Amino acid sequence: MDWKCQIESIGVKIPGKRLTTSELMGKFKIPCIKKFGLLTGISERKICSTGEDSFSLATEAAKNCLSHSKYRADELDMIINCSITKYKDGLSHLYEPSFSALIRKNIGASKAITFDISNACAGMLTGVYIAEKFIRQGIIKTCMIVSGEYISNLCDHAINNITTSFSSEISSLTLGDCGAAAIIERTADEKKGLIISGFTTLSKYSDLCTGRQNRNTPGGKMKTKAKKIHQAAISESAPIVQEALKKCRLSLNDIKWLIPHQTSRSSIISGANHYLNCFGEKPGQIVITLKETGNTASTTHFLALYRYLNERRFSEDDNVMLLCFASGLIIGVVIFKMNEMVYRYGSTN
Amino acid sequence: MGAQIKMVSVAQPRFGFHHVNSIRLSTRAAIQCLDGARIDPCDIGLLVNTGIYRYKNTGEPAIAALIQEAIGVNRTCAEDTGNHKNTFSFDLNNGGCGLLTAIEIVHGLISSGEIAYGMVVTGDSEPFYHLSKEFTFKSAAAAIILAGSKNSNGFSLFRTYTYPEYSDEFVSTTFYSNEGWHGKGRNILNVLQKESYPDICVDCAEKSLFGFLDESGMKLDDIDLIVPSQSPLGFTDKLKKRVGMNGNFIEIEKTGNMVFHTAGPAFALKKVWDDNRFRSSKNIIFLTIGSGINVSLALYQN
Repeated sequence: MDWKCQIESIGVKIPGKRLTTSELMGKFKIPCIKKFGLLTGISERKICSTGEDSFSLATEAAKNCLSHSKYRADELDMIINCSITKYKDGLSHLYEPSFSALIRKNIGASKAITFDISNACAGMLTGVYIAEKFIRQGIIKTCMIVSGEYISNLCDHAINNITTSFSSEISSLTLGDCGAAAIIERTADEKKGLIISGFTTLSKYSDLCTGRQNRNTPGGKMKTKAKKIHQAAISESAPIVQEALKKCRLSLNDIKWLIPHQTSRSSIISGANHYLNCFGEKPGQIVITLKETGNTASTTHFLALYRYLNERRFSEDDNVMLLCFASGLIIGVVIFKMNEMVYRYGSTN
Repeated sequence: MGAQIKMVSVAQPRFGFHHVNSIRLSTRAAIQCLDGARIDPCDIGLLVNTGIYRYKNTGEPAIAALIQEAIGVNRTCAEDTGNHKNTFSFDLNNGGCGLLTAIEIVHGLISSGEIAYGMVVTGDSEPFYHLSKEFTFKSAAAAIILAGSKNSNGFSLFRTYTYPEYSDEFVSTTFYSNEGWHGKGRNILNVLQKESYPDICVDCAEKSLFGFLDESGMKLDDIDLIVPSQSPLGFTDKLKKRVGMNGNFIEIEKTGNMVFHTAGPAFALKKVWDDNRFRSSKNIIFLTIGSGINVSLALYQN
């Protein structure tokens, strides 16, 4: 039998320490960037404090997810960790064992198969893509997708290297830390199943955003040709989105909530305008959750979902589209109908 | 329809150099594999990289995307190339089991008819030259192309057995040291392997192997070939003796204390691929082991 799958529960862990955009700009010895907060729409981001790192954020998000779930940890068949940053015990990068193997141990998911994937900011949605394949074939029934991003350390490198507003490290200033987790479960309900489409890597653009470990200082650095990658993502994604909509017999008008990757407010708005020109229609609402958390890398879609669930904005049967753009260049679309999960997060709609 | 191995290629540094760029090494293996498979590269629907120790510890984009670009497979959208094909690529990290986990994912996509061919690439090398402690993995890369099987040949069963109680037996992590040249700090890769790790690996692998045989309804005598991981050091030798499958338990000749890591099973496969033992064997078991401890097994039938 060809099974369908759906999102069963979502959990997040946001670190408590705040770093406002004005505080961040104040760290520059010579002010060289103007209107950063206005252009990006980011007024603050949450960052890790002592004792917090990618691993602790991922573990706490996994526990939070389980607290909203009908499943116990020992009922999980698979755990996939999807974070870009793999910092444990501060800024020590963990190569082996996999994060997911350690999360399994910490949450007590004794029978879960584990592995990590890495696919830049598309990590968690790539996790959904893989989970769907395993569930559809009947190999597993439940899978936890988890990610912990301690990525704000890239700001420290950027602050020391940015001298003009055209610097390739400007994008690092948008980053904030967050952990997110979601349980994907098997369902026989065709209407609620996830439609996963268009996951493609346009490697021609693979050099437009690169991140790697520093040699001489703890943490990492990221260099981005922001304008070029934005233009490529917007123009290349339109036919992919169209194909995904066709696959589930929907138009963009039928999508009530479009959740794009949260990079900056101006780029999300210009992308939305491009779609309006291409499709001649627009979704009900384009979700922007950057203001207080910034760009939290692979966790942005699930952070936005979690926040809107808790704010009781979703109703059952709302059509939701998750749209990912990530360095590679990866474009992916996930479309689903919001299920009864909304009631577990307090919705009365 | 299952998936069968279409081609396997391996690559090691030329002229005896140890330190190389893992991405270039993986690309070389991938190009050789594509040449040997004689397929249209644009038919590769999924490309998964499973190397752990990558050049300069690149975090993004995925190494798989960089390999995809280097081998020129569906670099951009269909409109540009005139065809309607695309490739999705990502990295998968699961220690020594990564290769088999990726093969399982590709197998699933081929079986469901979503893709025609999938490629799994893996490659390890010291991320920063001379900035590691106890790094005993050979610089090596491998690529495997999988294709649909018209008969019952190919992979038929995958299982993973987990032993989380041993997760601290093997840990590799970076630490920051202030003892660099001219007072500059350095991020050092430190590989911590407990003395008991190889023996525990043998115990876990043996238990998993017999569990797997039970699940597949087979006996050890039915197995013609076992293609195993080549690390940790001494693992294959000990397990071979334990299960009593000397000649048909594939082991790569050792050179000092360096071992093949994620590419190990592919090097073992290449050995039996070249001497035709792979095609002439009926029942083959792939046995991989990695930190965690995870043991992944797969049954392949000709």
